[in-house]
Amino acid sequence: MLTETLGKKLLLLDGAMGTVLQQRGLPPGGQPELLNLTRPELLTSIYQEYIAAGSQVIYANTFGANRLKLSRTGRGVDEIVASAVTVARQAAAGTDTLVALDIGPLGELLEPMGSLSFERAYDCFREMAEAGERAGADLAVIETMTDLYEAKAALLAVKENTRLPVFVTMSFDESGRTFTGCTVASMARTLEGLGADAIGLNCSLGPDLLAPLLRELCENTRLPVIAKPNAGLPDPVDGHYDMSPEEFAAALLPCLEAGVTIFGGCCGTSPEYIRRLKEALEGRIPARRHYVGGSFVCTPVSPLRLDGVRVIGERVNPTGKKRFQQALLEQDLDYILDVAIQQEDAGADILDVNVGFPGVDEAAMLPRVGKKLQSAVSLPLQLDSSNPDALEAGLRVYNGKAAVNSVNGERSVLDRILPIVKKYGASVVGLTLDKGGIPQTAEGRVAIARRILDAALAHGIPKEDVWIDCLTLTVSAQQDQAAETLKAVRTVREELGLQTVLGVSNISFGLPSRSLITQNFLIQAMAAGLTLPIINPNQKEMLDAVAAFRVLSGEDTGCRAYVARFTGVSPAVQAVSAQSGEMTLDDAILRGLKADAGKLARAALEHEDELALVERHLIPALDQVGEGYEQGKVFLPQLLSAAQAAQAVFEVIRASIAVQGGAPVKKGTLIIATVQGDIHDIGKNIVRTVLENYGYEVLDLGRDVPPETIVQSVTEHGVRLVGLSALMTTTLPSMEETIRQLKELPQPPAIFVGGAVVTPEYARKMGADYYAKDARQSVEIARKVLG
Amino acid sequence: MAEEALRYLGAGEGAPDSLREQVSEAAKALAAAVRPRYTYKIFDLDCEEGAFRLRNTALSLSGETAARMLAQCDQAVLLACTLGTNFDLRLLAAQARDMARAVILDACGSALVESGCDAAEAEIAARFPERYLTDRFSPGYGDLPLSLQPGICAALDTGRRLGLHTTESLLLNPVKSVTAVIGLSDRPQMARIRGCDFCTLRENCALRRGGKRCAD
Repeated sequence: MLTETLGKKLLLLDGAMGTVLQQRGLPPGGQPELLNLTRPELLTSIYQEYIAAGSQVIYANTFGANRLKLSRTGRGVDEIVASAVTVARQAAAGTDTLVALDIGPLGELLEPMGSLSFERAYDCFREMAEAGERAGADLAVIETMTDLYEAKAALLAVKENTRLPVFVTMSFDESGRTFTGCTVASMARTLEGLGADAIGLNCSLGPDLLAPLLRELCENTRLPVIAKPNAGLPDPVDGHYDMSPEEFAAALLPCLEAGVTIFGGCCGTSPEYIRRLKEALEGRIPARRHYVGGSFVCTPVSPLRLDGVRVIGERVNPTGKKRFQQALLEQDLDYILDVAIQQEDAGADILDVNVGFPGVDEAAMLPRVGKKLQSAVSLPLQLDSSNPDALEAGLRVYNGKAAVNSVNGERSVLDRILPIVKKYGASVVGLTLDKGGIPQTAEGRVAIARRILDAALAHGIPKEDVWIDCLTLTVSAQQDQAAETLKAVRTVREELGLQTVLGVSNISFGLPSRSLITQNFLIQAMAAGLTLPIINPNQKEMLDAVAAFRVLSGEDTGCRAYVARFTGVSPAVQAVSAQSGEMTLDDAILRGLKADAGKLARAALEHEDELALVERHLIPALDQVGEGYEQGKVFLPQLLSAAQAAQAVFEVIRASIAVQGGAPVKKGTLIIATVQGDIHDIGKNIVRTVLENYGYEVLDLGRDVPPETIVQSVTEHGVRLVGLSALMTTTLPSMEETIRQLKELPQPPAIFVGGAVVTPEYARKMGADYYAKDARQSVEIARKVLG
Repeated sequence: MAEEALRYLGAGEGAPDSLREQVSEAAKALAAAVRPRYTYKIFDLDCEEGAFRLRNTALSLSGETAARMLAQCDQAVLLACTLGTNFDLRLLAAQARDMARAVILDACGSALVESGCDAAEAEIAARFPERYLTDRFSPGYGDLPLSLQPGICAALDTGRRLGLHTTESLLLNPVKSVTAVIGLSDRPQMARIRGCDFCTLRENCALRRGGKRCAD
């Protein structure tokens, strides 16, 4: 069997198909998968040459045979995949050569950069994988991926729907990143965690330039590693690749020494390259590997090695926070994102995400919040729930390697959660408690930690992915327990060699000057071996203590981060404007000073009510800025700064109302959307920022929104005003169609339109009620329609 | 790049110092973090029935713009340049934090992708010192249709080379991306397409409204 010898023996793949076809006279472009039907004999001859040259695996001609790319050809996925596998099978008849189903990128960008959802991508790959297995492929190869999220969708689709072994190779440039910014370490740890059988690099560069990246890959995975590089770089004039077969084969030998055991060629290679490669590898054996490993979590762009103290931010959590609870119930994901952003900007390394609250469907909410956070925060996430469905749903759509918070020593909990942790390659936090409660001694807690570790190992979860929480108890209630917790942390760290987690702030409940106790406990815990404190990163004292600890432990080389933090270079410790004492609220809004505006609003609420604050200060100040903008004296960034200062004031008002339990102040609701087909939505977002800060509730449906969705939302929310944007001439028809459908409603809403190519004349022609040339005009329109 | 970005923001020379400073810092930070990538390829031109066919591709450039631009050319360069999804992610992150900063970043991105095209054009000019280049022109300029985008991207294999895709509605994705055509000729080429007549944004341009032009 293939998987039994992988990594133990060298394996030779094939070379290019696309560039060989071009050499044989086929024009580039078009849909090469159609050749399976129209020119099978041409493909057969190329396969036979590869087999004769020594290829032990040939890739069926299915690279782009997915639903999206085939949509314009009138051919189905099943038909193309079946014919491709059959052609390859026939070419391989009578040999030991294996046939791989080749799965390339879908050709559209996934969310959040594009509009293709993870779920739809998965479905496209599932269809291919099932067709490939039915047609008799021996394995699946997912290749030329540049988006780790897309690679994950494909890998899950193959693993969940077939029994085929699966390879995944991605394309990197010289900087060591893919086009979407994914690092080698993030790729390696994520795909290994998800259960790929071998991983590697293909396309983009020649073997000389890929060698350092392959070495890095070998250090970051225990899996067999694949190298399938190009024949150097192409010449822009004649399209020729610059490496000869001899040079190509010679340049791959250092990759063998780095630990690569599976070889082949990509663009610009041909059967001759494979023949030379076979000769060069003759008699060679796999090299010894040097796995660096260690505890690790990541997003594609942010790999995080846990080789020092790493701060887990605790604020994305409704417990004891009225405003957060309200946001969860209203599905106000922007508020939650804002809480996350503040922690990233304050210096957190990982964010804990907890959305469990009565009335919230956690299994639906956790993946939504996870996606939302990953659209604008680059930190790895720790999904915090005891609900296995929520954890599975959250891990499924997470891009990278996440952590799960938590399991405990209970057998039933371990058996329920650990298989999910294993399937998605996550790390897991184990709480040292069980049905007997929290042991009062350090020894008792360490015993549970051992039990959790053993269970994790038995489920195939590596030791480095097991994090233990020895549990902080409130010192004012159980004074002897602080020392026991510290002792348990020390033992788990030193004897078991595991990462240690503690929710630090519990320690100081019920005491005055809490932060002093919390900070002291944090320092003692770090000294005892705490590596992953869960804290509020917005509390300056806590991150100060971590910064100091990193100096003393030697982690902060040259004290650089410490010096930067305390000489005011770091924005996290910059004070708000010094002279806010003399400033009025109106000034703060006019000058766009968000922090000052918030502070002054809180002060103002002591002698004015919420409505007066809006009517007497907020709106007049915004109007003044708006007039300046119309006269060309104030520019767009300044208009938006003022709007955001106003937003800070609104946030203060909302929090104040949430505490009193009253209904939020809202001047009226409208819907805005960027029409179907259009992905440029910054203009729409500007309109939203400005309208919200005039007190309107804006339901933002996003970009690339189908007319039906807009109509449905208008009906559902009974909205009287809709704003539509489009940037390109090609998406104007979609705007027109949306207007047409809205006008068919029994009580059609007023519609305003805007965007780079929309003109007043065209707006009228399409049947829109208003044309807004900019965000400022959209406010005038909202006032006219909604008051 | 900062001056260009200020003009995209409609501010130009009248920009207050604070804004000028913000834009220049953003431009610097962006240039340090994101590098425009480009790829280009040279094709022989065959003139058939008033249209220019690019040999070995399915592409044919018809219409007045192509006719005027390529009149004296026997070859054309197809060029694609993008800031990649790295920029998109930065813009998403900025929009979630501070719309004012996001708008500035957006303008800097537009300026940076244009500077990437300039660099590619300079490289092409240096490779062919004996040839003359026409102005760079893109689908959407004049009557050159946007429907050429998928063909141009296919001919340059931009998905593989740059991670650049076209959507069904013919938009380029990532958002800060440009495709362009440059004609190559043995005769000196005059500047033809600078100016509002060729710009798709002419109806709504903030500069034009203020009686100014970006090509001045």
